[in-house]
Amino acid sequence: MGGLPANRTVNGFAVVDPKIMYVAMRDGLFKSTDAGETWKRTGGELKNLAAVAINPKKPNEVYVATMDGKIYMSADAGMKWKKQQ
Amino acid sequence: MKRKFYLEIVLGLVWILSGSEVLGLQPLYAGQKNHKNARADFEHIHALGIDADGRTLFLGAHTGLFRRENGGRSWQKVALPASTSHPDVMAITPDPKNSKTIYIGAHEAGVLKSADGGATWKEINSGLGGVDVHGIAIDPNDGKLHALVRDKGEGIYRSTNGGGKWIRVDDGPGGEVKGLYSVNISTGMGGIFLYAPTAEGLKRNPDCF
Repeated sequence: MGGLPANRTVNGFAVVDPKIMYVAMRDGLFKSTDAGETWKRTGGELKNLAAVAINPKKPNEVYVATMDGKIYMSADAGMKWKKQQ
Repeated sequence: MKRKFYLEIVLGLVWILSGSEVLGLQPLYAGQKNHKNARADFEHIHALGIDADGRTLFLGAHTGLFRRENGGRSWQKVALPASTSHPDVMAITPDPKNSKTIYIGAHEAGVLKSADGGATWKEINSGLGGVDVHGIAIDPNDGKLHALVRDKGEGIYRSTNGGGKWIRVDDGPGGEVKGLYSVNISTGMGGIFLYAPTAEGLKRNPDCF
């Protein structure tokens, strides 16, 4: 699990292809492309994340919810994000 | 006297306008009145989930379950059974093989299942030692379920018949667990892995208890 902030709460988790995982944390969104062995922060300035989900029909489409109720969507597997409301 | 009369007219106008779209307050009030565009009700979001067809985004929060269709902008509050007195939705687990089947875990209502895409819900708690459910994992291969119960009856419960009957199989990761997910990675021991986001990071364990 290298690369995730140590001893910090993980609020949300999402996986479709078992190699590609996302976790939602207060520190932001983290992504693994090797089934959770290593993690890298993605999603730019996104912070205070409560939950994450992947569209099973379009695995590049990823949604996150912030703790204060905002929803963001990425159509390119976490690179660019657009606020939805 | 005259001044008070004018003041009342002004206040009356403000009251009338605030109930309409004129002052731009519609999304807030619509959310509270008829649960259309219910964003104002979101607080303490716990979970997001998308049905197997990729059409409906479900959102679980302290204030209940919400849904949004086809990437639209408007949220609808989902009606849960009246017996669900405190619909704090902690987990959303769509069946990856059947877009009509959705499971949710609620803070004081256990596991609820919908077999019609979220229109109607039934509590399926037979065999669960408690009703504070923080996670539901579904095995993508055979649909086997694992539910994570906290507080009373704490542990991991398994169901092999779609939630009809639960059997306690493990103590679980313990502590503040935020969810439970089956990940299709073979353990080499006949099962796959369960992942759990927790207050101490992401944990995983083979599901062949």
